[in-house]
Amino acid sequence: MKTAKLPESAGRALAQVLFIGFFVFPIIWIFLMSLKNFRDIISYPPKFLFSPTLQNYRETILGAEGTLQAGELPEYVRFLLNSMIISGGAVCLAALLGIPAAYALARGGLPGRKHIAFTFLSFRFAPELMIILPMYLIYTQVGLYDTYAGMILSHQLICLPLVIWIMMSFFQDIPIEIEEAARIDGANILLTLRAVILPISGPGIASAMIIAFIFSWNNLIFGLVLAGPNSRPVTMGILQAMTFDQIKWGLMAAAAMVSAVPGMIAATYLQRHITRGLTMGAVR
Amino acid sequence: MSARTTYLLLFLPALAMLALALYPFVQGVLTAFSDRKLYYDSSEFIGFRNFIDLFADDEFRDSIFRTLAFTAGVIFVQIPLGLGIALLLLGQSWFRPILRSTLVLPLLIPPVVAGLMWKTMMQPQSGILNWLLSNVGIPPQTWLSHVDTALISVILIDTWVFTPFAALILLAGLQSIPPELDEAARVDGAGALLKFRAIQLPWIVPFIVLVALFRVTDSLKSFELFYATTRGGPLNATRTLHIMAYEEAFRWSSVGKAMAAVFVLWLMSYFISMFLMSKWQRRSGVHNENG
Repeated sequence: MKTAKLPESAGRALAQVLFIGFFVFPIIWIFLMSLKNFRDIISYPPKFLFSPTLQNYRETILGAEGTLQAGELPEYVRFLLNSMIISGGAVCLAALLGIPAAYALARGGLPGRKHIAFTFLSFRFAPELMIILPMYLIYTQVGLYDTYAGMILSHQLICLPLVIWIMMSFFQDIPIEIEEAARIDGANILLTLRAVILPISGPGIASAMIIAFIFSWNNLIFGLVLAGPNSRPVTMGILQAMTFDQIKWGLMAAAAMVSAVPGMIAATYLQRHITRGLTMGAVR
Repeated sequence: MSARTTYLLLFLPALAMLALALYPFVQGVLTAFSDRKLYYDSSEFIGFRNFIDLFADDEFRDSIFRTLAFTAGVIFVQIPLGLGIALLLLGQSWFRPILRSTLVLPLLIPPVVAGLMWKTMMQPQSGILNWLLSNVGIPPQTWLSHVDTALISVILIDTWVFTPFAALILLAGLQSIPPELDEAARVDGAGALLKFRAIQLPWIVPFIVLVALFRVTDSLKSFELFYATTRGGPLNATRTLHIMAYEEAFRWSSVGKAMAAVFVLWLMSYFISMFLMSKWQRRSGVHNENG
């Protein structure tokens, strides 16, 4: 028995190591690249041993030497700030609108609620340009183009369906008896929501908001179409390292690593609710 | 205040937001039937002209074909691979948490970053992939830089990013199999292969449909990986419908035509997603009452 099991588990372990390698190697390689100077980056055969430098990060965060006016922020830092404002604002707005809506959809017995819920979901499946290209035309007319308000509003297309569907699935999992107990004690719907439902859904709300933040932060196409010099997000900042005549590999690698930090943190700490988040609550 | 009014009030702000999103949608459909240009506000209704022009254009039909080929490639690679990884993760192992973290990482970093990472590694002259291949005696590949290999290379990158998605969902499916079923299979002396065919596979069919729903719709509209790696090149070899529409609008400023192209893409993905969604709801009714 034991001898028969050994080769099988050895094969399993080998397969596991192989797939870790496949998924981790690219990230490690770019991380190494972000620590190399230009000569080490372009050397062939590729260098695995080199003397690391933080020059790329320094130039990304602090700007190239001698290019900044006094009091001016380096470009990439402005992109980072833009992304924080846009994604942070978008998630807060989505939570404000989406959590009560999700509760009403889960418990309210509203007429046509299935259709409404699916209309929200259908934005998840629609090609982005279907909405944001006409949005661009409207934004340029009403002055929302290249503004934080416009970006936060448009990012509701990402965040709101996520928050509504994830929270709907959380609320449906809460036993209705808890609410009925509160209602018998004389609490109305708003009080039940505030004093009973929200406290026990804290972890759910947090993970829904984190996932919405990550997807908003990671997005490129909204910024590409709806943002200009005043509100470009961090994902566009990485592309800027690819100028017309050359690619600044080291800077690109450093910028990419910095922009991936929220996702990396979430990957480490957000294990429990990740499948629910990725499937809009379809898989618990 | 009645209960119903309260619920309605809770729901109203989100509904207003929905209305706000439907306005550009309708506006966009109307634009598809006009000769709207990027920098002129005025435009005229021209009926189906944009659609007729598009379908008369070989390049447009090619990009529909490319979009479908990309989607098919994604599905046929990622679902079996994801299933394999899910089965691999099913057993107990002390480093399972590490495996899971590893798995979600590609899904949570920006797609642009994933695209640029792979573009770097796929450089034909200095990239690490060709160096790795040369070590095992495989000749260097052209990857993203050649017409014949570009689309396959993007499928490879997409596989790196999204196979974890398939794996996580299918793993959740496998873990939801009631222990009694597993136990029954063990008592009957079923081997791993028979157990997979008779118990695991039938049980996870709804989960496979769910993965297909997300992966098909996301691949049809895939944009960011293409934009970060090839932007439709070389020689239009990776010019999918979504990329084409973007170029029509912002490079050639033919917004009307761009909207017509996106509208075609939207119709495709709408009908496919409706079909898969109905399949999924019917299937999942079996062991998930919440649907």
